[in-house]
Amino acid sequence: MAWRSWQLVIVGVVLGAPALGCARTQGASDATDTLTIGAYSVVREAFHAGLPPAFAAHWKRQTGRLVRFEESYNASGAQRRAIASGFDADVAVLSLEGDVQRLVEAGLVKKDWDAGPNKGMVSRSLVVIGVRPGNPRQIQDWEDLTRPDVGVLYPDPKTSGGARWNINAIYGAGLFRDRPRGGKPDPKAARDLLARVQARVVNLDGSGRQSMATFERGTGDAVVTYENELLFQRKMKKAEAPYVIPPATLLIESPGVIVDASVERHGNRAVAEAFLDFLRSVEGQRILSAYGFRALDPRIDERIPGRAPPPPRLFTMKDLGGWSKINKEVYDPGGVWDSLFTDKGAKVR
Amino acid sequence: MSHPSVPKHSPSELLIRGATLSYLGVMVVLPLAVLTYQAAEPGTSAFWRELSNPFAWHALKLTFATALVMVAINVVLGTATAWVLVHYPFPGKGLVNALIDLPFAVPTVVTGLMLVALYGPTSVLGAFLGRHGWDVIYQKPGIVLALLFVSYPFVIRSVQPVLLEMDGAEEEAATTLGAGPWTTFRRVTFPTLKPAIVTGAALSFSRALGEFGSVLMVSGNRPLATKTGPMYIFGEIESGNRHGAMVVSVVLLACSLGILLVLNRLQRQGGLDHVH
Repeated sequence: MAWRSWQLVIVGVVLGAPALGCARTQGASDATDTLTIGAYSVVREAFHAGLPPAFAAHWKRQTGRLVRFEESYNASGAQRRAIASGFDADVAVLSLEGDVQRLVEAGLVKKDWDAGPNKGMVSRSLVVIGVRPGNPRQIQDWEDLTRPDVGVLYPDPKTSGGARWNINAIYGAGLFRDRPRGGKPDPKAARDLLARVQARVVNLDGSGRQSMATFERGTGDAVVTYENELLFQRKMKKAEAPYVIPPATLLIESPGVIVDASVERHGNRAVAEAFLDFLRSVEGQRILSAYGFRALDPRIDERIPGRAPPPPRLFTMKDLGGWSKINKEVYDPGGVWDSLFTDKGAKVR
Repeated sequence: MSHPSVPKHSPSELLIRGATLSYLGVMVVLPLAVLTYQAAEPGTSAFWRELSNPFAWHALKLTFATALVMVAINVVLGTATAWVLVHYPFPGKGLVNALIDLPFAVPTVVTGLMLVALYGPTSVLGAFLGRHGWDVIYQKPGIVLALLFVSYPFVIRSVQPVLLEMDGAEEEAATTLGAGPWTTFRRVTFPTLKPAIVTGAALSFSRALGEFGSVLMVSGNRPLATKTGPMYIFGEIESGNRHGAMVVSVVLLACSLGILLVLNRLQRQGGLDHVH
């Protein structure tokens, strides 16, 4: 926590101060707009290397003006806290709707942020299972993660908001187990599957990236993570990073919003809105797709060679009843997650 | 330690005293007071509810249990190490002396990484131990190992100077009077060393209660199994339960303070024992 706070202070001093200063001085002199982005760490490479040059060219064509990016990346919750406590990002790209909701509650983001056709979302991904090259444990589905010969990794949902995507995927796969046979959602089966997978978890890391790092160091046989994290390994590290998409898994949808309080202060609403529109445009989505995300329009993904089609029984947070229901049911004190450890018979090794 | 027999306070003395006490106040007391206030503010029953949460309670118990095991090992092996360093000449002693303090300089996360590399399930040693049912990393022994590493110098560095000061005359006298080596150690050497051993033990214990970075890497972090107090605190802060985090922090800090107070008293008594 202390280190996080320091990071925020450093980000504030290094990015915040010049962002303010430069927006005024440079913006006036050589027609440069400055856009400050506060995003969650998983999108860093796409947002740092992929999107800025493309958007700069787009903005130049549209307005003849230049654009300069100030970027900050942090865990979704930490980024949300930074913005809520004064980090003046113009555009916030976060992992969880709940983090945006907190910014709405703080009066920084408009209430109707999710009104558009994409419901405020900018990127998608899938929860998948990363395996060892050659898939020696023959892992195909969540049920395989409950076998005694399999060591599983995923991050701790207490410290990583993003970890909840992973756990929700397992929970949902259990919940909708009987769906192919026309059965009703079964919360008991959901808890049971989650309990049996958790019993095989070797290490609950602090974040998704840390889980990946632990897996890369050779621990465990399977890592539950986002598809884009593994595709990123392939792209940037030239690693094999094999993974399987379980037949029933969760569609990850992450929001991007304008932070009204910041664009009011900086007077750069036009460029901020143009950037968000660009993110959702075919060109922006193609870049995100190339960096391993799933596009808002699935047809864009089909053009990427080797990208697997979405699994047959894909479900969304809406299918699970929405974030507030799942947070209450699974993660609140005394919820399903806690019960995995406190209930007798579900004791972890 | 010594009190001036005539307490005359010159202005400069008062100034220095005031400045150092304010420094302590600003640097240590004030932050701790804020924490304690915020933890206590919602009332006794709320405090108790957070503390009796099975996850918090288990994390605290695990923290104390692993710290106690570490202290027991440190007391024996630390005293032995100090003894060897003082009494036996051997080549490379200077290097060994320097190495002892090195754990203080290693970032604790790196400590965790090193231990995972050495004892982790994928390492040669870790795999060998695992085959014989000795899982170290991501289990409780890993936590103790990490604590041993980060607190390694404490006992050695408190015992060593006392051993250096002992001139051996008392031990010689004991031997002359017919005491065997064990009796000499038990009746003569150990009582002299005791305050220093207690100091080292208490410092390592306090250090262990707050250890985070290295334990994070090696413990596995599984609730009600291998999640220690500091990791529980981190999780509660990140998931929005600030009060729960503060309550556990205050309990850990209060225990550290208690230990250090008892230690101070023991040291003073030890000092008096010496004089008489």
